[in-house]
Amino acid sequence: MHSKLWRGWVRLLLAMILWTTLGATAEPVTLTLDHGLVARAEYRKGAADKPAVLILHGFLQTHAYPLVHNLTDALASAGYSVLAPTLTLGVTHRKQSLPCEAIHTHTHEDNARELNEWLQWLSARGHSRIVLIGHSMGSAELLLYLRTHRPRAVVHFIALSLVEAQTDLDSDRLQKLRSHLQRKLARGDRGTEVHPLSFCRRLQGTPQTFLSYYAITPQRVQSAIKSLRIPATFIMGGGDDRLSAGWIERIRRTGQRVVIIPNASHFLDGEHEFDLIDVVLETLRQVG
Amino acid sequence: MRKLKLHQLYGLILLLVLALWAALGLYAHLSLRHLAQRSEAEASRQALVEIGAAVAELERRLETITQQLAAWDETRQHLNNPEYYPLWRDVRVRHTGLLPEGMRVALYRPDGTILARDAQVLMPARLSLQDPRRVMLRWEQGKAWLYRVFPIPVHPDARVILGYGLIKLDPLAELRTLGPYRYADPASFGFRHHADTTLVLSALTNHLRLSARPDPSLQSILQEVHRLTQYAVILALALAVLFLVTLRQLVVRPMHRLSAEIGALRDDPQREAPDGEAIRFHLWELEQLRRTFLDYHHRLYSLHREVQRSSELFYRQARQDALTGVYNRRAFDEDRMAIERDKRVSECTLILFDCDHFKAINDTYGHPVGDLVIQALAQCLTSVLRADDRLYRLGGDEFASLMPGASIETALRVAERCQEQVRRHDFSRYGITEPVTLSIGLAHGAAPLDLTQLHRHADLAMYRAKQPGHSKIAVYEEALGRLAALVDNREISAVYEAIRRPELLQFRYQPVVRLPGLVPAYCEALCRIRCEDRLIGPGAIFAIVQNRRLDVEFDLAVIEAIRRDLAADLAELRQGVSINVSGPGLVSDQVIAALLHLKAQFPQRKLVVEITETALITQMDKATANIARLRAAGCLVALDDFGSGYSSLRYLASMPVDMVKFDMSLIHLLVKEDPRERLIVQDIAQIIATAGYELVAEGIETPALLEQVIAIGFSHAQGYHLDRIALKPPTLKPHSAA
Repeated sequence: MHSKLWRGWVRLLLAMILWTTLGATAEPVTLTLDHGLVARAEYRKGAADKPAVLILHGFLQTHAYPLVHNLTDALASAGYSVLAPTLTLGVTHRKQSLPCEAIHTHTHEDNARELNEWLQWLSARGHSRIVLIGHSMGSAELLLYLRTHRPRAVVHFIALSLVEAQTDLDSDRLQKLRSHLQRKLARGDRGTEVHPLSFCRRLQGTPQTFLSYYAITPQRVQSAIKSLRIPATFIMGGGDDRLSAGWIERIRRTGQRVVIIPNASHFLDGEHEFDLIDVVLETLRQVG
Repeated sequence: MRKLKLHQLYGLILLLVLALWAALGLYAHLSLRHLAQRSEAEASRQALVEIGAAVAELERRLETITQQLAAWDETRQHLNNPEYYPLWRDVRVRHTGLLPEGMRVALYRPDGTILARDAQVLMPARLSLQDPRRVMLRWEQGKAWLYRVFPIPVHPDARVILGYGLIKLDPLAELRTLGPYRYADPASFGFRHHADTTLVLSALTNHLRLSARPDPSLQSILQEVHRLTQYAVILALALAVLFLVTLRQLVVRPMHRLSAEIGALRDDPQREAPDGEAIRFHLWELEQLRRTFLDYHHRLYSLHREVQRSSELFYRQARQDALTGVYNRRAFDEDRMAIERDKRVSECTLILFDCDHFKAINDTYGHPVGDLVIQALAQCLTSVLRADDRLYRLGGDEFASLMPGASIETALRVAERCQEQVRRHDFSRYGITEPVTLSIGLAHGAAPLDLTQLHRHADLAMYRAKQPGHSKIAVYEEALGRLAALVDNREISAVYEAIRRPELLQFRYQPVVRLPGLVPAYCEALCRIRCEDRLIGPGAIFAIVQNRRLDVEFDLAVIEAIRRDLAADLAELRQGVSINVSGPGLVSDQVIAALLHLKAQFPQRKLVVEITETALITQMDKATANIARLRAAGCLVALDDFGSGYSSLRYLASMPVDMVKFDMSLIHLLVKEDPRERLIVQDIAQIIATAGYELVAEGIETPALLEQVIAIGFSHAQGYHLDRIALKPPTLKPHSAA
C-alpha cells in the first residue's frame, strides 16, 4: 500500500513537471453550437498515434472541475489528446458551475447534441479514435449518448462513478411528479418548478428539464450498458456513498469491466486520484 | 474708612472665590464652546471626507456588482433566452446576493431596448446612456434614483457586447448603509438640487447636501464636563455651606464672643475677665489668641487695680493731712465746690476751728508738742462730729467742717460738743500747763450757696470769737460785717503796705496823765493806717497782724513811725510816748534793738514799752532779759491789759516791769453795783501798788471813774474822759480841778 502511495506521488510530480513544459499546448477552445450558444472546452493536443480522449464533467459542473482537470492534465501528460468540454446548459460561454437555484432550462437531449458536436469537432481535427470518459452523471450522459448516436470514432468508454439521475423520491412519488410535469408541459405551461434532482435537493427547472433528467433511470442506464457495442470500463469508488444499493453489482452483472478503487469516494479524489489515473492510463494503453 | 466686619470679610472672600469659580467656569465654557465649534468645523470636513469615501465605496461596490453581474453566466443565459428573465431579475438575482437589497437591475439588448418591462419598478424602456463611466441621477416622484449602466460582453474576455445591464438604486439609502459614519449625519443626507443629470459617480459628493453630527467623543466629553460641572457646582455649594458653617463655628462665633468679651471689658474695665477654662475655641490660633488676650487682660487688670489702688492712695494722700489724718485743704476746696454744685443742698453751715495761742504753744513747747496738740485737736473734733461730717485741716491750727443740710442750731450743738471735748482733753500729758482752747466761728447759708462768702463769714465769726471778752463760739451775723476788714484784701494789703512803708502809719496819741494831779505824763500811740479815703483802726489792724503773724514786723514799723514823729518833734510827744509791743516783739532782738535805738536817739523823751498779750510770750526768760535791757536803757516797761486774760499775776511776778496797766474791763468793775467786784479790784490794785509798781488805769471815761482810781491809788490814768482834758491847750490841767 505504501509503495503504491509512493509511486503515486512520483507520478504526480512528473505530471506537474510535464504540465509546466507542455502547458503551452493547452488550448481553450469554443464551439458555436447549432442553437447559437457558444460552448467552451479545453483541448490538449497529444500524439497522433494515440486515441483522443473526451472527458465530460458531472451534473452542472464544468471542465474546470478538479477531477476532470487533473485527469485532463494527466492524460495530456501521457501524450493523449484530450478534450474537456463544458456543457452550456443553456448558457453561452458558460464558465461557472450552474447552481441548483439557477433557472435550469437544459435537457439531457441538449447535452447529447452538444456532445455530438464536440465529437464532430474532434473528428474534424483528425482524431479517428476517441475514448469517452465521463464522471458521475456525465458518465450516464455519455452512456445514453452512445446508445442513441453510436458514433464510429468512439473506441472505448470509461465511466467514473457512474450514477443514474437520482432523486430523493420513491418510485411512486417520482412517477406522480413525472405525470404532473408531463401534464403541465402538455398544457403548454413552461413555468419553472423546484424539485430534487441528482445532488440538488431543490433544483429550479422547467418541466422539460425535470422530465429529461428523470428519464435517466437505473434501469435505463443498466440497459444502456448492456447495449454498448464498444468496450467499456467502469471505475467505481469503493467508498462511494452516493450509489444505490447493489448498483456496482448490477453494473458488474452487465459483463463490463468494473474496476473498484478501494475506499475511494464518489469523487475519486485525494490519493485515490492516482489509482484512478493508473487505471485510466492502463485502460488507454490497452485501447492502444 | 469704614471697617469691615468679619462676616462681611469672609462673605467678600466667598463671593470672590465664587466669582473666580464662575469666571473659571465661564472660561471653561467658552473654551469648550470654541472647541465644540472647531470640532464642528472639523466634523463637517470629516463628514465630507466620509461622504467622499462612501461615494467611492459605492462606486467600488457598483463596479464589483456590475462586474459580477456582467461576468455571471446566468446573466448571459437570460440575455440569450429571456423567457425566464423576470424570474431571474426578481428572484434569482436576489437569491444569489449579487445585487444588494434596495438595488434593482434590468437587462437591455445591445440596441438599448429593455429585455422585459418591470411592473414593480420603473426602469427606462430604453437606455439613453451607454457610457459605463457615468451615472444618471433622475428624480422620480420627488425621489432621487441613481442609474448605472454596465455592458455585458459575450463572455468575460470578449469585447463583443451581448447586452447591457442597468442598476437602479437609491443613492442616499445606499450611502446610509455604507456607514457607520462618525461625523456625517446619515439622516441629513440629501441633494442640493432636484434636477436630472448625468455625472461621474465620484462627483456625486458635489451634489450632496449633508450636515455633520456632533463628535460623539466630544459630545461625550462635553456631557461629562457638564456632569462634572454640575457636580462641581453642587460640590462648590456644599463646600461653601460647609465653609460657612465651619468658619462660623470655628472663627466667627469665637471672634464674636471674643469681641463681645473685649467690648464688655471695654465698657466695664473693672469687670473680671471670664475664666479661661469656661469657654474654649476649637481653632488653635484663636484659642491661643483668646488665652493670650485673657492673660494680657489679667495682667492689665492686675496692673489697673494696682494703679487704681495707688491712685486711690494718692487721691487720699492728696486730700489727707499727713499729720492728723483728716482731710486737707484740697479736699476742703473740692468738697466746697461739690456742695455748691449739688442742687439738692438747700442750706449749709461752715464751722471753723482755731486753736487759741497755738503759735505761743508751738514756740514755747516746741513743734513736736505743737504737732501732738494738733493731732489731739483733730482727734477730739473727729470724735464728736456727726458721722457724715468731715473734718478738714486748713493749715496750722485751723480746722473746718462743712455741714451741708445742717441748720445753725445743729451746727452750734456740734461746735459746743467740740469745745467741750477739747476742754476735757488732757493736754498736760504733752507738758502743757496752759489751757488749750478753741475759738469756733460758724456761718450758715442757704441756697443758692456761696461757700466762698460763707467761708468769709465764718472767718469773721472766728475773729469775733478770738476777740477778748467774747464767747469762744461765734456765729456770723450782719453786725460782724465791720470785721470784714480782716478778710478784706484791701485792708490786708494796707497792713502789708504799712509794714513796708511805715510812713503810712498814723497815730492818735492818747495822753496818759499822772494822778492825782492829771499832769500829762506821756502819750500812748494808738496806731491807724490810712487806706484810700478812710482809716483802719487798731482793732482791725491788730486782728490782721495777729492773724497773719506779723507782730514783729508791725512792731518794727510802729517804732519807725514813732521815731518819725519824735523826730518831727510833735507836741504830743514832748513828755514821752508809750509804744505797744507784742509778745513776739518783746522776744525779738530786732524790736528790742529798735526800741533801744529809739531811746538812744531821743534820750530826753520818756519811752514806755507796753507789753501786750503776755500770755502769748513763749520765751519768758528772753522776755525778762529784754525787759531788763530796756529798763537799763532808761525805758519804762508797762504790763498792758492786766486782768483781761492775756496778762495775769503770774507774769507780773516773773516780769520786772515798772508799770501795770489795768484793763478797761477791770477798771469798769469799779463802778459796778456789786461791792465785791470793786473790793477785789481795789485789793489787787493796792497789792500791786504795795509791790512797788505804778498803776495805770485804762478806760477812764467818766469823772466818777477817775475819782475811783485816784482813790484806789492808781498813779496814771487814760481814757476818753482824760483825752478831752488833755486836748485843752496848752497844758493839761489836773482832773481834780475839774
